[in-house]
Formats: sequence, C-alpha cells, structure tokens
Amino acid sequence: MTAEPALVQKVTIRDLKFFYGDSLALKSINLPLYERKVTAFIGPSGCGKSTLLRVLNRMYDLYPRQRAEGEVLLDGDDILAPTTDINLLRSRIGMVFQKPTPFPMSIYDNIAFGIKLYERLSKAELDNRVEGALRSAALWDEVKDKLKSSGLSLSGGQQQRLCIARTVAIQPEVILLDEPASALDPISTAKIEELIDELSSRYTIAVVTHNMQQAARVSDYTAFMYLGSLIEFGETPKIFTAPQQKQTQDYITGRFG
Amino acid sequence: MAEHIVRSFDNELEVLGRSIAEMGGLAEKMLSDAMEALSRLDTDLAQHVVATDPRLDALQRTIEEQAILTIARRQPMAVDLREIVAAIRVSGDLERVGDLAKNIAKRAMKIAGEVRMPRALIGLRHMSDMAALQLKDVLDAYAQRDEARARAVWLRDGDLDALDDSVFRDLLTFMMEDPRNISFCTHLLFCSKNIERVGDHATNIAETVVYLVSGNTLPTERPKGRGGLRGDLG
Amino acid sequence: MNRSLRTRRQLSSLVMMTLSVGATLFGLGFLAMILGTLIFEGLAGLKLSIFTQMTPPPGSKGGLLNAIAGSLVMTTGGVVIGAPIGMLAGIYMAEYGHGTRFTIIVRFINDILLSAPSIIIGLFVYEIYVAEVHHFSGVAGIIALAIMVVPVVVRTTEDMLLLVPGTLKEAAAAMGLPRSIFIRRIAMRAARAGLVTGVLLAVARVSGETAPLLFTALSNQFWSWNINSPIANLPMVIFNFALSPYKDWQQLAWTGALLITCAVLALSITARVLSAQGNRK
Repeated sequence: MTAEPALVQKVTIRDLKFFYGDSLALKSINLPLYERKVTAFIGPSGCGKSTLLRVLNRMYDLYPRQRAEGEVLLDGDDILAPTTDINLLRSRIGMVFQKPTPFPMSIYDNIAFGIKLYERLSKAELDNRVEGALRSAALWDEVKDKLKSSGLSLSGGQQQRLCIARTVAIQPEVILLDEPASALDPISTAKIEELIDELSSRYTIAVVTHNMQQAARVSDYTAFMYLGSLIEFGETPKIFTAPQQKQTQDYITGRFG
Repeated sequence: MAEHIVRSFDNELEVLGRSIAEMGGLAEKMLSDAMEALSRLDTDLAQHVVATDPRLDALQRTIEEQAILTIARRQPMAVDLREIVAAIRVSGDLERVGDLAKNIAKRAMKIAGEVRMPRALIGLRHMSDMAALQLKDVLDAYAQRDEARARAVWLRDGDLDALDDSVFRDLLTFMMEDPRNISFCTHLLFCSKNIERVGDHATNIAETVVYLVSGNTLPTERPKGRGGLRGDLG
Repeated sequence: MNRSLRTRRQLSSLVMMTLSVGATLFGLGFLAMILGTLIFEGLAGLKLSIFTQMTPPPGSKGGLLNAIAGSLVMTTGGVVIGAPIGMLAGIYMAEYGHGTRFTIIVRFINDILLSAPSIIIGLFVYEIYVAEVHHFSGVAGIIALAIMVVPVVVRTTEDMLLLVPGTLKEAAAAMGLPRSIFIRRIAMRAARAGLVTGVLLAVARVSGETAPLLFTALSNQFWSWNINSPIANLPMVIFNFALSPYKDWQQLAWTGALLITCAVLALSITARVLSAQGNRK
C-alpha cells in the first residue's frame, strides 16, 4: 500500500437545513466532500440526497420558496452567502442530471458554448478544448466525424457523456452527478462509471444514485440519508460490508419496511 | 434481524444456514467416530467414517453453489454479504475437518493389527476431546451469532497446540524405547497432527463468526499468553 | 367474467360507438358539402386572369390581382407588427413572470382577446384610428390584423416555451448560463418549430378575416400600394362581390374564397408538419 496524500475538505457542509416553503427537507446536515474523491449519496426516494446536491450549486435559486440555512464552504468560502456570484459558482461546481440534456445545437457547439461563455479563445484553441473535453468524456472516437450533427442525434448514453464533456469543458473543480446513469442501459452505465473513476483523479465528485451496487463500485466515501437526515457517512468499503447504523444496514440489505 | 423485502432472499439464507448446521453435525460425528475407531481399533466404524466423507463433500459443494448463486442474484450487502462469505468459509473448514477425520479413520484401519501400547492413545484421546469441544463451541457460536463465545474458542486454541506438543514428546519417547513401535507411533503422530489441525479449523471458524457478527477481522496473530507452545499443560 | 355483464358492456359499447361515429359523420358531411360547393364553384372561374387583372366593374372581364396584393400587404404588415409583440409577451410570461399573479391576469385577458369577435376589433380600430384620421386606410387594416395576431402568438409562444423541459433550463443554469442567454440561445431554439407554427397559425387566422377590415381598410376597386388609403383585399372583395347581383362578380367571389381556403389549408399543413418535426426530437 502506498501512503495516501492527506485528505483535503474541498467542500464542507455545516449544520445545513433546507426548506421547501415551510417544510424542512434537510435536517442539519454535517458532511465533508474530500478533494479528488468520489462521494456517493444513497437513500430512499425523498430522503433529501438530490436536494442536498442541488444546494451545492444553488440550483434551488431557480425556484421561489426554497431556501437553505447553515454553511456550505467551498475552499473555505460560504457559497450560501447572498454575495456569492451564482454563475461563477456554477462554473466552479458543475452538474450532470439524470436525464441527458444536450442543448439543441451541434455536438461541437454543445461544448464550445459553455467555454465561450467564460473565455475568449481562438478557433484553434477552442477546437483543442472541445476535443480535450470529448476525450475526457470518452466520447471523442465516437463523434469526431460528426461534430456538426445535432447533439440530439446521439444515443442516450452518448448524450449523457456529452453532458459530462460539456461540464468538464468549463473546467470546474467539483462535479455533481444526479443519478447520471439511471436512465441508461448497462453498457452505457458501465461507461459512465468508468468515466467517474477517471475523472476522480482530477475532480471532486459527488454522485447521487439509487443503485447501491453502483455507489459501492464508484465511490470512495458513502453517505446514507434518510428522511432528510444524514444517518451515516464513511468510507465506502466500510459502509457496504459493515455499516455502523442499523438503518444503514437495513437499507442496503433491502430490509426497509 | 428484520426480514428482507424480498422474502425469497430470506429463504435462501435460511437454506444456507441449515446446510451449514447439517455439515457441522456430520463433521462432529465423523471426528468422534474416527477417534472411537482409533481407540477401539474398530475397522468397521473406521470404514463407516470413510464412507461418510463424500456426503460432507457434496454438502459443501451445494453450499458453495447456493452461495455463488445468491451473490449473483441478490448482490448482497453488509450483513448479508458477510453471511454468505461466512457460509462459504465455514463450509470449507468443515469439509477439511471431515477430510482429517477420514484420514484418522484410514490410519486406524492400517494400525488395527499392530497396536502394542494402548496408553499411547490416552494423550490423543484427550486432544480429540478438546478439539471436539472446540468444534462444538464454535458451531454453537456460529448458530447463535455469539461473538464472545467465538472469541473464547479462538483464544483457547493454544491449549490444543500445547497438548499436541506433549503428545509428540510422549510418542517420541515410545519410539525410542522400542523401535518396533515406530510404525504405529508415526501413524499416531499424524493423527495428533490431524486433531491439532481440526483445532485450527475451529479457530478459523471462530474468526469467521467474529467477522460475520461484527464486521471486524481478528488480528492475524493470536496473543500467546495462555497455552503457548510450552504452556502449562506441557 | 360474468356473461350478462359482458353482454351489457358490449351493448353499451355498441350504442356509444354508433353515436360517436354518427356525430363525426354529421360534421364531416357538412364540411364535405361546403368544400365541395366551394371547389365546384371556385374552380369554374379559376384562370390566369385572376392573378393578372384588377377587379372589374360589373359586366366586364377582370381578376383579383389588387385584392390578392392588398391581402398580402396587410397580412404581412399585421404579422410583422403583431408577432414580435406577441413573442416578447409570451417570453415574459413563460420565463420571467411564470406563476405570478400578473402573468395569470395577462393570460386570462389574452384568452378573452383570442376569442373576441373580430368585428369588435374592427370597430375598436375604427374608433381609435379611422375616426381620428377621418378616412379608411391600409394602416388601419394592418393595425386591426396585428391586434388579432398578438393573442395567438402570445399563447403559442408561452405554451411552447413552457414545453421546453425544465431539465434543460436547469442544465443551462448549472453551467452558469445567464437567463437571457438561455432564452435566446437554447429555449428559443428548442421551441423553434412551435414558435414558427404559432406564427403560421396566426397568419392563417387573420388572412381570411373580413370583419376587422370592414371598418378599417374597407376596399378599393383599383390597384393601390398606398397603405394610407383604402386598399383592396380578398375577404372584402369576396364579401362585396358575393352580395352583388352580378353573375361575374359572384364567380370572382367564389374563386377568391377558394384561394383563401387553399392558402389557409397550406399554412395549416405546414404548421402541422413543423410541429410534428418539433415533437419528434
């Protein structure tokens, strides 16, 4: 075994509460996301795992009557502060959704679009960045001959990898994945999982999944949530072989009643 | 433990548990029969022990297949995963115990005509009683998911090792006394080694039970306080 | 299953089926009669001179050129003015004011406007414009048609933008895209087929309207590009000629009606095809 470099808390969640209108959806969550590690969130539907993910890039700002309390520190700065530049925040914390969401434009433009938003690049540089992003999403070989065709012409699995490429292209620091493979067939799922593995050497990753085996496969750390509370957080091997909490055990062994 | 949402999963685990219990009973019986055959030099009983072994092997194979199928079908996690891994490991240990008993029985048949010194068997008898007790204890610990009892078995193994040493010395003495003893004493030496190994398998099962119940693994080295190589029973 | 229960269900199914098929045939029958008459009467007068000659005085030869040209001018004018206004309003309602009380009220009023009798719109424009400048004109006609275009486009724009998946909006937001860029570059593009359909439907809706033109553009026997004076248009010509006692004018009215019907049909089919393509993506 080689010595692991010390863990750095890229994101620190402290006493986070979240409200939909008057109802409390997250009850005082405390949790770190370690730099260049994959953290999986598992739990039954409605446990708050997706909600938690959507707090991290302030996606909830799109909707009225949703609000968060507490602290979410990204490299020490509270992103919940009203002074946070949300668009800048979202360029640092990218997100990929359950359903592939390619923009209605060409494959090339899908990726170049985001880059052009933040940077002025020459055509050659832009081409390079697009290729790099597609390569890191393991999609380049499949699309290099049809960069001008619509992103919507790709298969579901390819569309999802296009979305990941699009997110990677703007060089975020953290990537949030909200059930990224739940709408995909097993082969596409395997490709996404392989991708997560590769990306984890460069990015801090948080992934919500309903598939426990997937969480066990892709993550370094696992958080089990239930009814808006964090029940257990720990190293993935530990959680899936010998969890400490009875609720965690019941859930991952399929004993929930 | 609450039941699984998928009830057939519970069934599969239950069947596994029952098969292990059956194997345990069979292995215990084989060991005691083999020792009985050895001390009475009863070739019929020894023959019976040898004839029982295939049943144990078949049971082990069934358990393994069942366990593999359950892993493939259910992708067990946490306690379920430990349960199935434990079943595979325990059945392996029990199958080895059966092999060792069979080996003792075979040696009993070989030396039936030439035993000259029944007292040479006393130490062995003592060892096998202790090994049988260890085996019974650890199987109970497995059945009841009793971590403390399993740990006790694990710690007691040193006693058996010490006893093995003293039997070894006794048999060596007999052989030096009269070279005609060498042949059957060598057989008895192997038997004592076999019994000592039964104890090792009981210890393995104890480790498995601790893992099954707590998820923790015991240290690779047992503390050498009690018993020990030259312990109080030596 | 119980036998009598099955018989009863089959019986009631038969009765309902007969009634619905009957009702459909009843409606389709009248439609067929209308179209049949129109095609029969209209085709009789369809010749090249329709597109090359002006509306004639009674008893002489002529065509519908000035009416066709006038209709094109006014419909184009109405859409060019009305469609952007409608789109902007629709964008506001779908993207910025979604769910607010203001939007709900605007939508309600828009729906009333959508179903308001077109003659009221004609009267309204007469009152605020024609009566003020003291003469009928193409401008007044364009204003009236634009007012009719707006609610159609508002409605389709809002509906089409609301159909753009929320996930797309979130995906754009997740990349840090400002809302304005999302609307212009992504939502409008995703809804493009629907938006074009809306405009085409608006064109179809206004191109056959007579009532709003009666009080605004009136009509003109002669060729005129001057939108500041009364201008000829197909609906009014049909209206006037059909009511006249002259056989040749009546014939021109039938042919004009056929032309409008064909144009509206073509627009509707185009709209259908476009929206079908939009849905397939």
